[in-house]
Amino acid sequence: ETWDMPLAYPATNFHSENAEQFAECVREGTDGEIDIVTHPNGSLFSGDDIKRAVQTGQAPIGERLISAHANENPLFGVDSIPFLATSYEESDKLWEAARDKLEAVLEDQNLVYVYAVPWPPQGFYFKKEVNSVDDMQGIKFRAYNAATARIAELAGMAPVQIEAAELSQALATGVVESFISSGSTGVDSKVWESLTHFYDVQAWLPRNVVFVNKDAWDGLDEAAQQAITECGDQIAAEGTSKSEELSGGYLETLAENGMTVSPPSDQLREELAAFGKTMTDEWLESAGEDGKAIIDAYRAQ
Amino acid sequence: MPTAARAIRRSLDAVYDGAGALAALCLLAILIVISAQVVARWTGVPFPGSSQYAGYLMAAASFLAFAHTLNRGAHIRVNLFLTALGQRRFWGELWCLVIASAASTYLAWFAVRAVYWSWRLGDVSQGQDATPLWIAQTPMAVGAVILAVCFIDNLVTLLLAGRDNIRPDLSQQSRAE
Amino acid sequence: MDQIYAIGLFLFVLFLLLGSGVWIGLALLGVAYVGMDIFTTRPIGDAMMTVMWRSASSWSLTALPMFIWMGEILYRTRLSEDMFRGLSPWMARLPGGLMHTNIAGCTVFAAVSGSSAATLTTVGKMTIPELRKRNYPERMVIGTLAGSATLGLMIPPSLTLIVYGVSINESITKLFIAGILPGLILAAMFMVYVVGASQLSKSYQPIAEPAMTFAEKVRQSRFLIPVFILILLVIGSMYMGVATATEAAAIGVIGSLLLAAWQGSLSASTFFETLMGAARTSAMIALILSGAAFLSLAMGFTGLPRGLAEVIAAMELSRFELLMALMVFYVVLGCFLDGISIVVLTIAIVEPMIRQTGIDIIWFGIFVVLVVEMAQITPPIGFNLFVLQGMTGHEMNFIARAALPMFIIMVLMVFLLIAFPELATWLPANMRPAAGG
Ligand code: NA
Ligand code: NA
Repeated sequence: ETWDMPLAYPATNFHSENAEQFAECVREGTDGEIDIVTHPNGSLFSGDDIKRAVQTGQAPIGERLISAHANENPLFGVDSIPFLATSYEESDKLWEAARDKLEAVLEDQNLVYVYAVPWPPQGFYFKKEVNSVDDMQGIKFRAYNAATARIAELAGMAPVQIEAAELSQALATGVVESFISSGSTGVDSKVWESLTHFYDVQAWLPRNVVFVNKDAWDGLDEAAQQAITECGDQIAAEGTSKSEELSGGYLETLAENGMTVSPPSDQLREELAAFGKTMTDEWLESAGEDGKAIIDAYRAQ
Repeated sequence: MPTAARAIRRSLDAVYDGAGALAALCLLAILIVISAQVVARWTGVPFPGSSQYAGYLMAAASFLAFAHTLNRGAHIRVNLFLTALGQRRFWGELWCLVIASAASTYLAWFAVRAVYWSWRLGDVSQGQDATPLWIAQTPMAVGAVILAVCFIDNLVTLLLAGRDNIRPDLSQQSRAE
Repeated sequence: MDQIYAIGLFLFVLFLLLGSGVWIGLALLGVAYVGMDIFTTRPIGDAMMTVMWRSASSWSLTALPMFIWMGEILYRTRLSEDMFRGLSPWMARLPGGLMHTNIAGCTVFAAVSGSSAATLTTVGKMTIPELRKRNYPERMVIGTLAGSATLGLMIPPSLTLIVYGVSINESITKLFIAGILPGLILAAMFMVYVVGASQLSKSYQPIAEPAMTFAEKVRQSRFLIPVFILILLVIGSMYMGVATATEAAAIGVIGSLLLAAWQGSLSASTFFETLMGAARTSAMIALILSGAAFLSLAMGFTGLPRGLAEVIAAMELSRFELLMALMVFYVVLGCFLDGISIVVLTIAIVEPMIRQTGIDIIWFGIFVVLVVEMAQITPPIGFNLFVLQGMTGHEMNFIARAALPMFIIMVLMVFLLIAFPELATWLPANMRPAAGG
């Protein structure tokens, strides 16, 4: 059986490469019974549509940046609470604490969780040296969702709404002077042409989650399900270490092209941690009992 | 034409043109939303979700204007074959309207279904607007249904009167004098 | 074998539906349905709505109705007439005379409008009567107009480039900048043609213009001011960091409304007419785009683009051979389809080939616009031919033959672009908008 797998990112992105390896692994593990064909670069369904497409059976399997769906259920945004889990290690712990609850939420939506791989951590791009929140006042900051808008608000920056496709132009013309994203975005959009400083604050590590339509899953025999689960575990582990490895490389590339790449100053780190506290509390208000259980479990580790 | 038929004719035309006027208002609203977004950036006042709203209005403008556009002869098609048919053009038009009625009814059915599923699944926009999608998609479904009605209306009119309701816009012609 | 069967089936259904006169958007929907039905077990209608909604509600596409609306405003107000009055004194003494107003007018208007049809109607309505009055050869009036109006697509802003940029996920600004130089060169080539033809053709006997002093010429130029203000407003807002490419279209609408109101040529009824006209034209394009979005989903499920790309890749065409093959492919397609449909229909198939061959994707955008421009003036389906048919009352074949020299010049331009790719790549690589602040 052929399973078409829509992916949002270009074929050369490491998430898409992971998915291709996953497809290969499943093909071997099921003796060719399940033939996953990846469709990268949003060529089948665009990123925004992949979850709904898999939910409703328009595609049997797919991958999505799960925090994009935080409007739907705050639990989807657990990996993207700013300044809560600020390293690969912490992010893994947070994900482990949240995984059961997330799997249950996905199952309610007719989806079976297979694996998740984090993006490199999010850092601040600026046009000047920034050592404290005071230095951020009034800077035009790209806000693309509720959480980034809130960061702008807390830091006293001016939120500017710019679609991803228009980011490069907006940076070049000064419509935007700052944004938060991973090192890979900076490298892909040659951000050094417009901006000068990158602060590796590791604000959060958003994850791409791969899920299968539940009806398609239930139609498999146990051996096939087993094979998919095992491949998922394997790719999750490999993908995470690849992400970490790439992350260092991206920061080097930024530096090689003349950007000042550094960790945040101690003062900035403390101020951001305070934002983290505030935003975690706000998230907890919206995420209810399940959210509280996740954060408690994370903090207990 | 009997009175009842005339009344039906008038109300259908009113629906098509009314939806067309609504579509025009949506265009005006897009202009206002985009301008507000620019001004919001100048003044530093946030306008969350502006580009999503512009997108919804774009979809609404397109779908609501479909039927009106059809009857003004502005939806394009390849006329060569139809012209070549000469006296037998009726049969060509009939074939086209049968296909188009089927296709637009299919579109309308699934557009309504998409709204229903957006509502059932509680699907919300992933942008800062967080709009429930069934609200954003309803104008699309309404427009698709009106288009299907319009095609079927044209098919029935063709069968009854030998000529459909599609008339190229006179103002468009006079401009081309 | 499966692939050949699939291609054959797609083409059969496509030609059956399109050729028999089914409205283009619905014909595409029908083709896509057949493809989905045969090649996948997925729920067809639901998947169709997913991609149609995405395509119809796209933020980047909101620029489309805005540019169309701006064209409607300019056309229905006095703004466009003024442009002829301002331009003609400067053109009268050139070899070829006022015929150049067709080309210059289209070039200038192309910088404001994003579409070829808007450029054609606006410029043509003011130049055709004036040139006829002065006894310019009819065939050349029609031909140069049909050809140079296509500059509306090449010189930014450009609807075709927006659609292309959205499809391949590349910077629309870069594409816009890339179009400037090839657009101007193409305009210059048209002008050289007019100069040559005016010297060689015996029928080229226009009535001479009364001599005008330099001061008078300058005084006449004041009529150009409003249009130049508008151009500065649209382009300036884009490159000065006030607005994104999408937002600039809205600024253009406001600018032209203000200018029209200031000139006193904007009544409530004109305003309403422009709005309804824009609603219809953009709905027409949206229906085609919706059908095309569904068709490209179906193509994805069939695996056809991938297969086709693999076949062509396996042919190991050189860069030049591939481009020649694509030019022929697009010219043939352009006989049947309009520019935007061509781009959205083919780009998913062609993009991987281009990237694989190492062809610059921005450069290729200009190549595509050029072949799409040709499609505007080739029969049986050529938007500019239709518009001119309505405007002048000539038969389609007369107009198509009149436009043939322009078509040949565009083919020359393709070779020029291939020989000197820098024409399209140099500006975007070197002209970065000044970083604000
Ligand atoms: Na243009
Ligand atoms: Na053509």
